[in-house]
Amino acid sequence: MRSPTLTDHLGEWLDEGRTRIGELLVLRRESGWRLLHHADREIPALSICTNPHDAIALARLDAEGKWRPLRSAPSLTRGWALDLPDLESVRLALEFLYPAALGNYAAFRSGALAAAPLREVLERQTGMYRVTRHLTDTQAGELVPVVCSSTGCCLKTILWSLNADQPVPSLPSSKSSPAIDQTGAPGPFIPLLCTEACPLLIGAVRDKVKGACR
Amino acid sequence: MVTKPHSALVVVGHGSTLNPDSSAPTHAHARTIRERGCFGEVVSCFWKEEPSMRDVLRTVDAEEVYVVPAFISEGYFTRTVIPRELRLEGRITRVGNKTVRYCDPVGSHPGMTEVILRRAREVAPQVREQEASLLIVGHGTDLNDNSARAAKEQAQWIAARTAYAAVLSTYMEEEPLISRWADLTETPHVIVVPFFIADGLHSYQDIPVLLGIESEPVDPASLRTVFRRNPYRIRGRELYYASAVGTEPLLADVILDQVDAFDRQHPA
Repeated sequence: MRSPTLTDHLGEWLDEGRTRIGELLVLRRESGWRLLHHADREIPALSICTNPHDAIALARLDAEGKWRPLRSAPSLTRGWALDLPDLESVRLALEFLYPAALGNYAAFRSGALAAAPLREVLERQTGMYRVTRHLTDTQAGELVPVVCSSTGCCLKTILWSLNADQPVPSLPSSKSSPAIDQTGAPGPFIPLLCTEACPLLIGAVRDKVKGACR
Repeated sequence: MVTKPHSALVVVGHGSTLNPDSSAPTHAHARTIRERGCFGEVVSCFWKEEPSMRDVLRTVDAEEVYVVPAFISEGYFTRTVIPRELRLEGRITRVGNKTVRYCDPVGSHPGMTEVILRRAREVAPQVREQEASLLIVGHGTDLNDNSARAAKEQAQWIAARTAYAAVLSTYMEEEPLISRWADLTETPHVIVVPFFIADGLHSYQDIPVLLGIESEPVDPASLRTVFRRNPYRIRGRELYYASAVGTEPLLADVILDQVDAFDRQHPA
């Protein structure tokens, strides 16, 4: 018997009622599926897209036309619907809108998702980011809750700690709970899980450390 | 043609936290290959965007995974960053329940010569090769990077098989400097092709200033027409400026060629 694919898992989660992912809603239709911004659920006149690759462009810029280097930023544009024929194309579109969210959640549910502590990630940086290993615990506590804030910055749930046995100082416990939707919405959802510090945070760490050295 | 319905292809790009055009070629080439259906799954991952190299293997179902770096040369990224982030220990590595086959970067494949030539012919279709100089622009002086050598090799190969009056490798930060293009060439037509994967800061901002076709850095390529105003009549010549080689659709074939080259070097 073949192993279940990520598409199989996605189907199970949707059957469980987990139709929310980040700012998205995944709705079952008579024929196929519809992806849209959750705030657009009652909006009748949406711009309709039908190719899963359209999600690349939908995820690219915010409402002001600014680049979204972090797809989990709470700045997904509104006013569109992506109508797709099957779960395979829903999976592909989700990889563009919330990259790796499905794979990370599947690994998390099977107990196989490992997160890398911030110190471990900073220690392995080379080149211009080597300096980030000098971040102090105090600086980490000042930086992470701001750069990763679910209000305005990133809707991921942080699974990593500062060290193997030390949490990130000043990080709200809700930010580390996969059971809490970082959008604040109630009900079942597919969480966006953060397994280690992203390039935006590492860039901010570099600025912080270099700024403190001046 | 490569046919691997039970394997996944991962195309690794650099990406950028600042420039929306950086990851576009990698997404485009992955889409081309995906729509051809020659792999069971095709995904992209990035150093500076999502999905990260650390997360990407969890996004594919296949047990066998080919990784092709969409990078211009062997160097810091292909030898240090990508193996470290993907946890590779060699050309073939068992990572969790997957077997990862690590291919050479696109830029080192002989097929890149055809990509550069197509770019040059597209930008200056009416120009006779005998009346034109072709300048390939690399970065130069990068840490642990062989891009300068790769650009030089491409110039030599192209000089040997075309009728261009001159074919030169030039650089932004080392001699021969692209800013001296008018002194380096004698022909009425000069064609400049950036040897970069994406239309990033170098190809749409830095090089146009070094060429003298812009007086100061301009907005991102997607918002501008810097590549569409050819030819530029400047310093008594006609200058044709192409967009980066990595944006050429033919690069999708080079990605597949690197998979094929890997299999030839590592037969099952």
